[in-house]
Amino acid sequence: MPQGYEFFLIPGLPLLAFLVISAFATRKQDEELAPAFIIIALTGSLVLSFRALMMVAAQGELERTVPWLSVGTLSLDLGVLVDYLSAGMMVVVCVVSLLVQIYSIGYMRGENGYGRYFAYMSLFSGSMLGLVISNNLAQTYIFWELVGICSYLLIGFWYRRPAAAAAAKKAFVVTRFGDLGFLAGILVLSALPNASFGFADLAHRVETQRLAVGTATLVSLLIFCGAMGKSAQFPLHIWLPDAMEGPTPVSALIHAATMVAAGVYLVARTYFLFAVAPTALFVVASIGTLTLFLAATMGVAENDIKRVMAYSTVSQLGYMMMALGVGGYTAGVFHLTTHAFFKALLFLTAGSVIHTLHSNNMWEMGGLRKRMPITAITCLVGALALAGMPPLAGFWSKDEILTAAWHSKLAGHQVFFLAALVSAFITAFYVFRLWFLTFGGEPRTAQARQAHESPWVMGGPLVILGALAAVAGVLKKSVPGTGQGLGELLSREGAPEPFSWLVMGLSVAAATGGIALAWAAYSRGLVSPAAFNRRFPGVYALLKNAWYFNHAWELFATRVVIAGSALAAWFDRHVVDGMVNGVAWLCGRVGQRLRALQTGQMQFYVAVLVLGVIASLLVLVTRETPKLTGWWR
Amino acid sequence: MNEIPPIQGYVIISALLFAIGLTAVLVRRNAIAVLMGIELMLNAANLNFVAFWRYHGAERMEGQVFAVIVITLAVAEAAVALAIILSVYRRFRTVNVDQINLMKG
Amino acid sequence: MIASLWQAAVEAFLSGSFLYPLAFVAFALGTLVPAVLVVVSKNIVHAALWLLVSLASVAGLYLLLGAELLAAIQILVYCGGIVVLFLFAIMLTPGVGDPEVRVHNRQLFWGFIAATLLAAVALHLLSSEPWRVVSTANLTDVTGRLAEALLGPYVLAFEVASVILLVAMIGAIVIVRAEPRE
Repeated sequence: MPQGYEFFLIPGLPLLAFLVISAFATRKQDEELAPAFIIIALTGSLVLSFRALMMVAAQGELERTVPWLSVGTLSLDLGVLVDYLSAGMMVVVCVVSLLVQIYSIGYMRGENGYGRYFAYMSLFSGSMLGLVISNNLAQTYIFWELVGICSYLLIGFWYRRPAAAAAAKKAFVVTRFGDLGFLAGILVLSALPNASFGFADLAHRVETQRLAVGTATLVSLLIFCGAMGKSAQFPLHIWLPDAMEGPTPVSALIHAATMVAAGVYLVARTYFLFAVAPTALFVVASIGTLTLFLAATMGVAENDIKRVMAYSTVSQLGYMMMALGVGGYTAGVFHLTTHAFFKALLFLTAGSVIHTLHSNNMWEMGGLRKRMPITAITCLVGALALAGMPPLAGFWSKDEILTAAWHSKLAGHQVFFLAALVSAFITAFYVFRLWFLTFGGEPRTAQARQAHESPWVMGGPLVILGALAAVAGVLKKSVPGTGQGLGELLSREGAPEPFSWLVMGLSVAAATGGIALAWAAYSRGLVSPAAFNRRFPGVYALLKNAWYFNHAWELFATRVVIAGSALAAWFDRHVVDGMVNGVAWLCGRVGQRLRALQTGQMQFYVAVLVLGVIASLLVLVTRETPKLTGWWR
Repeated sequence: MNEIPPIQGYVIISALLFAIGLTAVLVRRNAIAVLMGIELMLNAANLNFVAFWRYHGAERMEGQVFAVIVITLAVAEAAVALAIILSVYRRFRTVNVDQINLMKG
Repeated sequence: MIASLWQAAVEAFLSGSFLYPLAFVAFALGTLVPAVLVVVSKNIVHAALWLLVSLASVAGLYLLLGAELLAAIQILVYCGGIVVLFLFAIMLTPGVGDPEVRVHNRQLFWGFIAATLLAAVALHLLSSEPWRVVSTANLTDVTGRLAEALLGPYVLAFEVASVILLVAMIGAIVIVRAEPRE
């Protein structure tokens, strides 16, 4: 096929795998085959993604479009845009997805619906890759919705459990709020003269000043709504913790590494719009900051190992958004990459523990480092990365974000920096709280005492991810196959941020402090969390109830929304129906009056007839002989 | 003699006669009086026909032919109408047109 | 136009050729005045009789116009036939009754207005344009030519009219027949 079109296979192969698995591998006897298809497909996609990356390095950007629908000048096409951003993201998605699929072979063994699981997983992988490689906003939206559906299907994988079904619904509905804004943004764009959805087109417009600043602000804010939903930013973050009802590999892939990153990716893709709209950037940064701080605090009070991770994801996504907001485009994208690795790793290790203990409650764990050494070590690597300790990947990316916030020209950037720094401390605290409770100390239950290490099919991916989490920091200086650092490759905003020893020192200090506090509280028992909770019950309640956001949303749904519906219903009954009934009433009244004309008196009818004749006579005659009408002029 | 009145004379009479007949139709209560009005109107029309027959040279006979036929039809119509009036009288016990009414409201 | 009529009348009177206009005026009045009386008579028999006078005057007008056969037909059929028929019907119905009962219905006013309006419009129209007429007429053997026309080119109308008369007669009888008592 002509050069460049082979990249359509990157999303195409997993989607094809979805079809094949759905058709042939969902029955009990065929199920064992299912993972084979997706692994083959993802390997192919991975190879192609690497090829894409190297091709961009050698020849520069590439774009290919297949025309689909067009109305006037507006057209909806399927296309691929291969540049450093998309190629890099695709490599990440392929790697993480591939490792998660391999892991799932072990994790989901023996489960009902084994084949269905891999079918959904391949649909998801294909959709996510399609979203990443898309060259126009409409196609992005299509795949955006697809990944949303996959998320729903996978969260509610064990659909017979009411909690899972409810969580799936909640995820879908909450992200719907965001998607509404996204769609509105797309529609605004389609209303412009000579409208187009293509990213290259839109970027060109912005550059040549054919797009007003107001429009750019509006559209970028609307697009950010979509990002808020998918990337669980405040206040639409409530779905992510509940989404942990799904199988752990799902949480690892979708709700840590890829789908939730789609929001950040979207903002990065449409960054040219945000760049000319300082208001939008400020909003993004503010919400990102709010999210990163609040979520970090919520993670502190959780006892469910996966929920801690969920809040952590929310918080880290907040970091990425904040980075993009303050102008650290490279920092945000870099953190996206490193976070994908170490968060997926952390989830998979949690999964490993859950798989053997059949419990999510950290208080039922303990001392697992002796019985599950591989899991414990890889988890430690992940935790250090998350906390931001050098030389692991997480340190480099978090440091870049903090530097960007420190040097940013955005109003209020000092607040953002401070919040990020404090939250780094909290992050280190909660993740090590998790590690010490789970792997440190002594086993607290019989289950924990009998825990065993996971099979290699699960352990292997853990090790690989651990390695990636450790060394991915090198990307900052040099991306393999391109010979240049990530910053140079991605940078559109000019020179990369200057290096700052002060910021680096502060971030390491915050991380160390957090780890130390966790060690003191949960390993050595020097500080008592129970005592703290007794002294500050209000703080404890606030954190335990996730700042009461769920309660607030519920209130909103039941009071505000229902009140609004009541209003709409009243309007419908009285105004709309009123108009219709009014027409009927009018007919009735008019009929009543007109009925009086039907007197039944023949002579009345004759009189009316005569009047009609006179009228016709006058009309005809005046038309034929205008002279005759003289006397009544 | 050649000093005949202009045609307007006859035509005006015809118009006035027609109007008077129309008044009778519209205004009188007795059904037979209404019929009388109709006869007057028919006569007015006939007068018109004959006048124009004469004032177009009396060469072509259509004017008179028409008048003859009209008279014939007027007779037929009067006969049937009176028959109807008698029949209605039998049913309603009155010949007043405004009282012959089955409508309820 | 009224002025020219008056002029003609005066000339005719002065020149002795006033018979025709006199007859015309007489017959005209004899048509219109009884017609008005038909409308206003309280007694329906009187109304019928005034109708008779009016129709006879119309016959007179026909004579003046030279339609002799038609005048004869008019008197025989209309006056002698139809009015008699009306009188019979009047006798069979209680039209001759209480003189207190109103003669006219409730739309006296509007009916009058309608008729007046029609008359006004018609009169205006008719007197505005000069008519393309000739004053010399071929009055030789009118009756003969009428007969030739009726039995010649218009024989179909003639025959159909006869059939209609037959049908009307039968119809009238059928309508008036008393309901058979079972």
